Order: sequence, then structure tokens, then C-alpha cells
Amino acid sequence: MPLKARYVVGEAWSIARTGARQTALAVGLIALSLYVPGLFALVSKNLGKLSAGPDAPAAVITLESSADRLAVARRLAEDHRILEIRIVPSEAALSRFRRAYPDLGAALARLQEAPFPPSIEIRTRSSAASGSGRAIAAASRSIPGVESAESEEETGRRFTDALRIVRGAGLVLGGVLVLAAILSVASAIRLALDLHREEIEIMRLMGATETAVRAPFWLNATAEGLLGGAIALGLLYGTYRLGLTLLARSPHPVLSVFWTSFLDWRGIALVPIFGAGAGLLGSVMSLGRR
Amino acid sequence: MIQLFRVSKEYGRFRHALDDVTCTIERGEFVFLTGPSGAGKSTFLKLLFREQPPTSGQILVNGRNIGVLPASQVPYFRRTVGVVFQDFKLITRKSVFENIAFVQNVLGLPRAEQKRRAYQVLKRVGLHHQMNAYPDELSGGEQQRVAIARAIVNEPTLLLADEPTGNLDPVLSEEIMRLFLEINIRGTTVLVATHDFEMIRRMGKRVLSLDRGRLRDEPLRREIAPSAIREAPFLPMG
Repeated sequence: MPLKARYVVGEAWSIARTGARQTALAVGLIALSLYVPGLFALVSKNLGKLSAGPDAPAAVITLESSADRLAVARRLAEDHRILEIRIVPSEAALSRFRRAYPDLGAALARLQEAPFPPSIEIRTRSSAASGSGRAIAAASRSIPGVESAESEEETGRRFTDALRIVRGAGLVLGGVLVLAAILSVASAIRLALDLHREEIEIMRLMGATETAVRAPFWLNATAEGLLGGAIALGLLYGTYRLGLTLLARSPHPVLSVFWTSFLDWRGIALVPIFGAGAGLLGSVMSLGRR
Repeated sequence: MIQLFRVSKEYGRFRHALDDVTCTIERGEFVFLTGPSGAGKSTFLKLLFREQPPTSGQILVNGRNIGVLPASQVPYFRRTVGVVFQDFKLITRKSVFENIAFVQNVLGLPRAEQKRRAYQVLKRVGLHHQMNAYPDELSGGEQQRVAIARAIVNEPTLLLADEPTGNLDPVLSEEIMRLFLEINIRGTTVLVATHDFEMIRRMGKRVLSLDRGRLRDEPLRREIAPSAIREAPFLPMG
């Protein structure tokens, strides 16, 4: 016969109340263990916007405003290593920036003149040797109308590597902390079991099935995890808002550019789901052999 | 109703709690199980309640061999048997009502029905006015009566009691025995483990006597004239 939901919820609440300290400790540990990887995810997400991505140009050539863009592009097209040449006018660069950073776009709108000069983006063939972007940039500096030319290859690669390290560190640290949270929930449940050992024995003697005995503990731990996840989410949002407030008060040339958005809805949902999962896993581990 | 055939229970290699016990208890009987401390009385009850399996032999309760009952079936079997323990085994953080209605609550019986049944059994043991009290607020005799109410709320066909009066004074013990008789009169088979020989003598019921794990013949069965207690109509005790 299926268990009555009211019985399970009532017992789970009773377990939480009788072991209030253990419950608080487990919730706190889960919150902490989800906050840290969540923070890494937040930083990585915002940094990711600065990342070049697979379509990143190998070199960006900035043109003088009076330069003949087509002439420069034609000269560049003579190089067989080049796959694609894209001319980016000032307006296109500005609208691209606004799309990427909607929060900063409004501030730029107040400027009288276009903040970005026209440029040409170069993409190289996949067969081109490593360092081609740098060589093309160097060669293009002698073309009339070119103001400057920089290879994005090296910077992009370093940036992507750094981003990968941040994400990896977040995953490793998050994994360790989530494991710690699972173990701490398991300990909390074990303590709760010890507190309720006598009555569990009585329940069994009165004819309670193992599911009836365990279900309240499962629910209790899952709810603890969910609450821990919700608290972690709240802390993450608090941190994000605090960052925005501090940066609005005293803008930073780099931080102000990348610290612009919170986790997307998937990330928001994952934090409490991970918490609930950690709680449930901890309780299953703890009750498994009892 | 209950049949034990060559039942033995060993704890470790050398401790024989029960040794080759064979006996039958008929449906509706009232039987005392007696013997000195360590004779195997509690083990006998634990086997009947399937708190432990026998080491060897067969135990039939209502035609089912409970010695080989799968673990998953044990809770369902236990719901058909009422058990009263010497130490009451009440859950202190639950009220009298919650203690009695525990299994019904697990099964999802409507709360009104749970209350109705709890009230009925509490009335039978004279504690219907203590429905919302907590065990710690009750005297020893009252706690034992709550334990009896809990044992009979599911209308079991078999009621087991392990030294139910062990912690009670003679007056309260008498009251508890009156309750068991009342329950027995209604058709429930009652098996009471006790070493209170005076009580056994006064009750004049069949006696199973254990000594060092072995069942003696039944010399203690005495056909004493039915006592006033046996015949008295049940009166709730407040």
C-alpha cells in the first residue's frame, strides 16, 4: 500500500525539528559547497563573453578613418593563408558591442562620436601554420591606411586556456565540496538516526515497512539539500549584486566590462537541484546499511 | 492457531535460548508463558512476532510458517499481531493518539477513522480522556494501558505480552490482567509471558513453562474455579 504523503512530510519535519543543529549544519555545508562552484560558474560565464570562440579572427587590423577599406582588403586578399576578410565599420562594431554588453551600451550611446574605428578582421585557413595571424598582422602594418594591426591568435589562445583553467578549477573544487556536502548530509542523517534509533525500532515492531521508516529521512535530507541550494543561489545573487554595486560606485577598466550578467535559468535551476540530489544521495548512503 | 514444531533458537554456538520446543496454542486461548529469568520466554515471544527467526524448526501462525517469511513480508505479518512490552515502547515525542494510530497513519487511513478507532480502544482501556497527552505525562499503569490499546487497535487475532506487569504494582497488574481477559473474551488469542506465579495461580489459565530453553510438561495448568475477575464485566479504569 502506498505511503501517505502527510505521514512522510510530518515525520520528515519532526526529524528536522528534533535535530535542529544537525539540520542547520547540513544545510549550511550544502549551501557553502554549492556557493563556491557556483561562484566559479558565474565568473566563468562572464569571462566567457570575452572569450574569442572558434570564429575568432586571427588578426584585427584597425584602419584610419580616411582609409580606402576595399583597397586594404584587396591587398590582404593576396595572402594565400587568409580564408576570410571581414570589414567592420564603426557602426557595426558599436552595435556588436551593445549586443554583447547591453548594460554598457546605454553609456556608450551618450558619446558624440563613434568610439570604435573601422577595422578588418582576418580569419586564416585551417592549413595555415601556427603564428600566421601574427605574421599577417605584421605584414599589414605597411599597407597604407592601416593604423595598427594586432594578432588575436596568441591572446585568444591564452584567454581560452585561462578560462578553461578557471572552469576546471571550479569543477574540481565544486566536485570536492559537493562530495563533502554529501558526506556531511550522510553524517547528519546518521546522527538523526541515532537520535531516533529507539523509535525506529518501535516503528519496525509495530509493522512499519523499511520504506515507511526511511522515506521521512530521504525527504528530510532532500529538503535540506534543496534549502542549501536555495541559500547558495541567494548568496550567489547577493555576490553578483554586490559586485555590480561596487563597480557602479568605482568602475574598474576590466571588471566593469565582464561582470555584467547572472547565471542563466539553467544554472539557476541546477544549483538547488544539485543540492537536493546531494541531500538524497547522502541519506541513501547513510540509510543503506541500517 | 499457533504451532511450534521442534523449534530451537541459538545465540552463538553455545547458547541455546530455546531447545527443541513443540507446542500448540488454540485459537481464542489465554495462555501464560512462564519460567525463571533466562528460561527463554522473551525469545519464545520474539520468534512468534518474527523479531527473530528460529535456528531450526517450524513456527506456524494462522497457518503461515513465519520462520521462512521473507523480510519484506514481516511488517505485514506484524500488523496482524499485537504486542505489549514490559517497557511499553511508546514513542515519547508522539501523543497517545499518534502512538496508537501510527500504523494506520502510515497506511493512509483517513484521520477521522484513525481518531474513531483510537478513541474506541482508548475507551476500552479507560484512557479516552488522555488522547492528546504525551507518554511522559502518564503514570506507568496508564502507559501500559496505552501500549495495550496500541496492540489491539488493529484488531489482531493474536496478542503477545512480554512481562506486561513487570514494572507495575499489584493493583495496576490486576487491572492490566483484567484488560487481557476482556480482550481474550472478545476472541483474541492471548499469550502472556510472566514469572508472577501468584498471578498465574489466580487466573487459572493454561500455562506453558520454560526451563533453560526447554518446554516442561504442563503441570501448572490448573482448573481453578473461574475467578471474579474472569467473569466480571469490563469496567474502564480511569
